[in-house]
Amino acid sequence: MASLRTERILSVNHWSDRLFSFKTTRDPSFRFESGHFVMLGIDLGGKPLLRAFSIASPNHSEELEFLSIKVPDGPLTSRLQHIAPGQDLFVSNKPVGTLVVRDLRPGRNLYLLATGTGLAPFMSIIQDPETYEKFERVVLVHGVRTCQELAYADFITNELPQNPWLGEDVRQKLLYYPTVTREPFRNTGRITQALDTGKLTETLGLPVLDPALDRAMICGSNAMLNDLSALLDARGFAISPGVGEPGDYVIERAFVER
Amino acid sequence: MTHVVTDACIRCKYMDCVEACPADCFYEGENMLVINASECIDCSICIPECPADAILPDIDKDAARWVELNATYAALWPNIARRKDAPADADAHRGEADKFDKYFSAKPAAAS
Repeated sequence: MASLRTERILSVNHWSDRLFSFKTTRDPSFRFESGHFVMLGIDLGGKPLLRAFSIASPNHSEELEFLSIKVPDGPLTSRLQHIAPGQDLFVSNKPVGTLVVRDLRPGRNLYLLATGTGLAPFMSIIQDPETYEKFERVVLVHGVRTCQELAYADFITNELPQNPWLGEDVRQKLLYYPTVTREPFRNTGRITQALDTGKLTETLGLPVLDPALDRAMICGSNAMLNDLSALLDARGFAISPGVGEPGDYVIERAFVER
Repeated sequence: MTHVVTDACIRCKYMDCVEACPADCFYEGENMLVINASECIDCSICIPECPADAILPDIDKDAARWVELNATYAALWPNIARRKDAPADADAHRGEADKFDKYFSAKPAAAS
């Protein structure tokens, strides 16, 4: 059983009827690496109800932020979506995970490939100065169903490049490729298609995927992980065998679907 | 789905899994660990961590034999949230056959 701290909800933002995010207080002794996930939950009749959530906030922030879908019959998210500022939330104090930059071999371009709430860990990673120290280009790809589900799009496009501390790195190195599958948008279709056809690299003015130079981190549903892993494997990329063992790419599930 | 520890853990007990587990769902016997299925969040981060390849998804055909053992002893043995030192002769028992019949102990880990 995970040991838990109690944090307080500071704000809640509903992106759509399926997607919301919230900020909580952060115990100063709570340490994590960008890309880590943690157990999070509520008190359900004296027993904690917990699920795994990736931390979306940067590790230098005084707050914690999480992105969640609303699963109508999901034991936790059906309740969590009604949470309000001032309420308490359990946060386990053992953040872990495989989506860490140190488990990637050195490379030139870092591809962050997310669908849905799989964006969360990458929100932390694109706000970590270390990411920009290690890579010349950081390519954030976010696949969703509807435009409304492009969470943080305005923050990524307009706010982050103006950040006094990170803005210069972001302006020079971060490329953002949002893509929508069920509505008209400037980029449509699935991430696998965009990579397979070369549309993604072409649109961004990047060379074709190359295992010698490119690195990737993937976060999404099991089906998405399988498809993208197969695509990268076929191009000669090698997955990190486990935490602490570098590879050409790393993967993590977007847990909150369950 | 959840995960189970198999007899490959017996007398190896490296405990890398314990350090990796976000849910602290491992329970410690005298010479092996088990997983509490109701606490495991199925993140599978422990699988590649195990030097003895002793952790399987419960849907694996080789897992069936160990599901009940994990359930039984998770209820009896103490929780372990931080790794301890592996037994001195852990490497000697890695990959050994029939460890359940030869060595299994139902005793909980000694208090530490």
